[in-house]
Amino acid sequence: MYAIASALLFVVLAGKSNLRPIAVMFVLFAWLAHGTDIGWRGVQGVHPAESVREALGFLAFIITGGYLLASTRYRLTLGGVVVMPVSLILLVLGRLTPAGDQPEDLSTLGRIHISLATLGVGVFALASALSAIYLVEDRALKRKKFEGVTFKDRGAPLESLDRLAHRLVWVGFPIFTIALVLGAVWTAKLGKSPARIENLLAVITWFAFATLLVARQIYGWRGRRAARLALVGFAAAVAVLLIYLIRRIVE
Amino acid sequence: MSELFVVGMSWRTAKVAVREKLAFREDELAETLLAITRELPVLEALLISTCNRVEVYGVAKPGADATTELRTWIAKRRNVRLADVGEALYERRGPAAIRHVFSVASSLDSLVVGEAQILGQLKDAYAFAGTAGTSGPVLSRAVERAFGVAKRVRTETLIARGAANVSSVAVELAGRVFGNLTGKNVLVIGAGKMSSLAAKHLYSNGAQKIVVTNRSPEKAEALADEIEATARPWAELEQLLVEADVVISSTGSREPVLTKPMFKKIAKARRYRPMMVIDIAVPRDAEPAIADVDGVYLFDIDDLDKVVAANLAERQKAAEHAGRIVEHEAGQFEHWLRSQGVVPTIRALREKFAQVADAEVQKALEQLARKDMTRDQQREMLQRVVQLVVNKLLHQPMAVLRGSSPEDAELRAGVIAELFALEISDQEPDVQAPEPEPSTEPEVQA
Repeated sequence: MYAIASALLFVVLAGKSNLRPIAVMFVLFAWLAHGTDIGWRGVQGVHPAESVREALGFLAFIITGGYLLASTRYRLTLGGVVVMPVSLILLVLGRLTPAGDQPEDLSTLGRIHISLATLGVGVFALASALSAIYLVEDRALKRKKFEGVTFKDRGAPLESLDRLAHRLVWVGFPIFTIALVLGAVWTAKLGKSPARIENLLAVITWFAFATLLVARQIYGWRGRRAARLALVGFAAAVAVLLIYLIRRIVE
Repeated sequence: MSELFVVGMSWRTAKVAVREKLAFREDELAETLLAITRELPVLEALLISTCNRVEVYGVAKPGADATTELRTWIAKRRNVRLADVGEALYERRGPAAIRHVFSVASSLDSLVVGEAQILGQLKDAYAFAGTAGTSGPVLSRAVERAFGVAKRVRTETLIARGAANVSSVAVELAGRVFGNLTGKNVLVIGAGKMSSLAAKHLYSNGAQKIVVTNRSPEKAEALADEIEATARPWAELEQLLVEADVVISSTGSREPVLTKPMFKKIAKARRYRPMMVIDIAVPRDAEPAIADVDGVYLFDIDDLDKVVAANLAERQKAAEHAGRIVEHEAGQFEHWLRSQGVVPTIRALREKFAQVADAEVQKALEQLARKDMTRDQQREMLQRVVQLVVNKLLHQPMAVLRGSSPEDAELRAGVIAELFALEISDQEPDVQAPEPEPSTEPEVQA
């Protein structure tokens, strides 16, 4: 269903704007179905943040939900085209990941870490999607490409995109910070070396978003610079997830 | 059938020098409408006179050549020679007139396709005709349907989408950056006419504070008074730029007034809040490089013209779709109008027949009341009454048929045969039908 919704959104973007409500309906149905699935597994004792496999699906769920929420206020076809395939890929990756034979005995600490990290990255993902749209629209305006896709299908105005992305980072940052600290404590407890690459990347993510908030507060960074920084931070976060995933598959 | 017609001229057929000769002032409208219906074979009339068109819509008396008479009449009324304006005056009748009024209302015939003013002007003209008492059933039905068609066209096509002039484009672009303009500050640099137009447009779209600055303070004051803005000294330009969200620049300066170093400083002071600069001056007031500064969006007159051209092209595409809607609606309306044409005839025929029948029944009832009758006498009387009614009804058509010229007679006989589904056999040579006697009964009525 995510696939159908993505395809529909592409069609809408290509000019068939009358299909838009149908496409959004599909996103909604897909999202509800996904939510039901997560809930049902939850009842069966499969925690959504139990493993990378589950967490990825959960992440896709958060992102899609965020997109739906945002599209009640703006015509975010472009956003949908960014968000829906991402959700789809995340979900497929999650499903393809071998379930594993209950590898680590997850402590409560571990569970909280995974939950919060997933939530934080989900919020960052939305902020980054908005930032990406910002960059595309900004470019179109600066280069005066008025016939472009972004121009015809009125998306959200630049100022709103920037503001919304900023708020999301505000929300996501504390969540992610706690997740990071808990993660560090957890690794220390497990007795693993803290100097692993994914830990480094997570710290990069944290720094990127921290810089974003501080620079905006002090120097008034916003717009293009802020958007680029958000994308860097998110890229690092995605890299962390990928590394977990690859390690799981390799193991 | 009374036929709808239009006689008029528009920007398509006449230059303004000709249009202005025929234009009517608002205070002349009522009188003119009444004169048209009084002096010409015109049953209903509506007059629209705008800067782009002067048109009389009307319904001609059956059989009259109202349009030709109206052309002469208009020329005389406006004191111009028909020869001078005749070529510019077009006329449409019947279905073509219906299509025309639908197109006009839908803004397909406008200079700027899709503009909304014409619909309002047509509504005013219709209200005027209503007050003057010159709009009747055909005209009002056609014009009201035209309003409906216009609404359909606006909602079902993209004809009214996209700004079609430089000022609206400025507003549209501002919307791309800011969403809405409520609470935004506008700075007008230079006191030209174009900048005041754009500023007014931004103001009417929610921008709350407008500041004008100009090298010569008097001009700034004058413009500020005109558009309800504040004038500020030229020396404060940089500070004013820091406070402004939308800048409209149109000075007569040969050198750029807005430079990149200046904007780097300003953007920082603004904490990179987005800022839109609309440079409508030629030569340009802003260095193109200021667009490289973060958060600064610069548009010059060519950019705005480009948007206008692109939007108009879109509207033109939409106009084709709209044209199909108009065509379809006009077809339906014609159909309705045609069916309306026979309604009065049917009604009159019914009434006449009913009258004849009623009169005879009345007489028979009176006779019945006067004397006692046997059953046979009653039956005889009933037969006589029915025969009488038939005779009376047939009398007039038969008289006309007999009195017709040979070719008319053939045509009429054919119509009658068709109307009454008669089977006429040719074998019997011209049976002399008994002459119906209109009144065999002694006149009882007074």
